[in-house]
Parts: sequence; structure tokens; C-alpha cells
Amino acid sequence: MELADPIDIIFRSFLFILILFLITKIVGKKQISQITFFEYVSGITVGSIAAEVITGLESNISYGIMSILIFGLTAVLVDFTALKSKKFRDIVEGRGTVFIEDGKIQEDNLKKERYSTDELGSLLRRQNVFRVADVEFAVLEPTGDLSVLLKKENRPLTPKDLQLTVADEKVPQTIIMDGKVLNDPLAKSGKNRAWLNIELQKLGVTIDNVFLGQVDSFGELTVDLYDDKIQVPSPQERPQVMALLKKCQADLELFSLGTDSEGAKKMYKRNSQKLTEAIEKLSPYLNG
Amino acid sequence: MTVAANVNQCLSTIKGIEAQLSLFALNFQDEKARVVLHESMMLMEEIKKDLQTRITELELEEPQYKKT
Repeated sequence: MELADPIDIIFRSFLFILILFLITKIVGKKQISQITFFEYVSGITVGSIAAEVITGLESNISYGIMSILIFGLTAVLVDFTALKSKKFRDIVEGRGTVFIEDGKIQEDNLKKERYSTDELGSLLRRQNVFRVADVEFAVLEPTGDLSVLLKKENRPLTPKDLQLTVADEKVPQTIIMDGKVLNDPLAKSGKNRAWLNIELQKLGVTIDNVFLGQVDSFGELTVDLYDDKIQVPSPQERPQVMALLKKCQADLELFSLGTDSEGAKKMYKRNSQKLTEAIEKLSPYLNG
Repeated sequence: MTVAANVNQCLSTIKGIEAQLSLFALNFQDEKARVVLHESMMLMEEIKKDLQTRITELELEEPQYKKT
């Protein structure tokens, strides 16, 4: 072995780390999840070429770079063409195969994809389905995952099924991390430091003691402390207002029963009605 | 407690609720929630007005209990 060999290997390694890094940046996240067979294969090939050129000192660096670039750029090109043309997309990325339709297993499609009944069962179980009869529709995705649509009666209950209105919730912003304030999320949630200081004072904690602090779309601050022995009170303002509303409504009912004046009776009744209306409208936002 | 005092108490509770609702309207991120809050605040406003009139009537009826 010559003296220059280790140096050459070090040089090649770093060079190809750089090239592979750039290629993966260009090709993007899609390659990592290996959406299609083509991307899967090209990913492996690029890796093998790099390994071959780094350790095989007799092979030419520029050839290696060239072939990696070709594979990388082809992947990008295929992605772009697939974006434009549905036909091309079907060929390159493949289409899903329907395994269960209208609750009936499609034996022909199963055979076409060479899946046995056991394998179908195993795929279904992975989706927490143990009874084929519960399934309305199932399709084998090009990635090899099975997507399952359960029959309506077997799907989890949602607020929509119960005809409940619920408040829209936005993503909570993390505004304190490791005892430090994060300015960007703080601004994004429409708050400032003065507000944060007041809220922390309300909770009775110092910012140094806060490991993680989040503000939700109701503008309420919840914190996790380093000191787990301290109990942090949970925000009570919304349920409190709800309770007050209900109390006032009951009071007005009482007044309307208690008074002898016909006009006052009517007035109390009307206002108690208004409060009931307000309670109904506010309950999605003030409960929980 | 006289009737007037009871109604007065209820009125101040309504005022407190209105203040809290306006605070929520500032804090909530959801636009729909804010609209609902403002509508409820308007309702509170109406109730406040009615109760205020009633309190004046009651104080005229039972002037001996009027707060000094």
C-alpha cells in the first residue's frame, strides 16, 4: 500500500459526503420516504456508487460524480414530469390496487399483486382491523401500505356524528423552552413579554423554573416546571365565566318568579332567555 | 337582603362576565370564536340596560332600602 492511499480515501470520503448531501438536498424529502419503486432503486444505486468510488481507489472520481449526478437529476426530472402528467405518474409511481370494495374481497386483484389471504389479514391487523366484515373499502398503496376505510358504524365517533359544535383549535405555540423565551413563536401567538410576565406571575412561577411553556389558541399559558413537586394550577377562567353565566340565568329565573309586577316578570324572562342563548353559543369555547 | 340588592348583585355579575368576555375576545386566536364572543357581549349589554332600569324602579318602590 502506498503512502498516498489513506489520504486519498479521506479526500474521497469527504468529497462524496458533500456530494451525497447536495444530491439529497436537491432530490428532497421524497427520496427518504421512498414513495416509489424508482426512487427506492435510485437511492440505493447512488449509495452504492459512492461506496464503490470511495474505497475502490483505482476507479475514477469524476466518473463516480457523473453517475451520481445523472441518477440524482433523473430522479428530480421524473418527479417534475410526474407532477405534470397523470399518465406518466401512473406508470412511474404506480397505482393503488383495490383489495376490498363494498365490503367484498377482490380475489383477482389480490392474485394480481401476489398477496395471499394471510398477508391481507396481516396488513389489515396492522391497521387494527381484525374482522374483514368491518371493512368497507381497502386499497394497497404503491408504497405497499394498506389504507382501510371502515364501515360507518365501525368508525370512531366524532363530534360531527353527535352534532356538536366544537371550537376550532389552532396549533399551540411553544414560547418557553429550557427557561428561555422564544421570541418568534411569542410574536406569532400575538403576545409579548409583558403579557408573559403577568401570566407567569399569576401561576406563581419564575421563568428560570419553566422547562416548557405553551400557549394555545385560547391564549392560555400552560407550563411544565423543572421542579415536579410544584403543582401548577390549570387555567380556570373559561369554566368560571360559564358558571357565572349559569348562575345569572338561574337568578333571573328566580326574580321572574318572585316579582308581582307583570312587566318586570316579562323583562326577567326575556333576559333569562338571552342568557340561555349566550350559554348555548359560548359553550364550545368556554367548556374544557 | 332586599330584592333591589339581589338584582344589583346580579347586575354586577353580568358586568364581570362582560369584562371577561372582552378579555377572551382579545386572547382567542380563532376568528369565529371572537365573533361569538362579541355577539354575547352585546347580549350582556342589553341585559345590563334592562336590569339597570329595574333597579331604578325598585329603588323608587322601596326608598327606605336605598343605599346611601
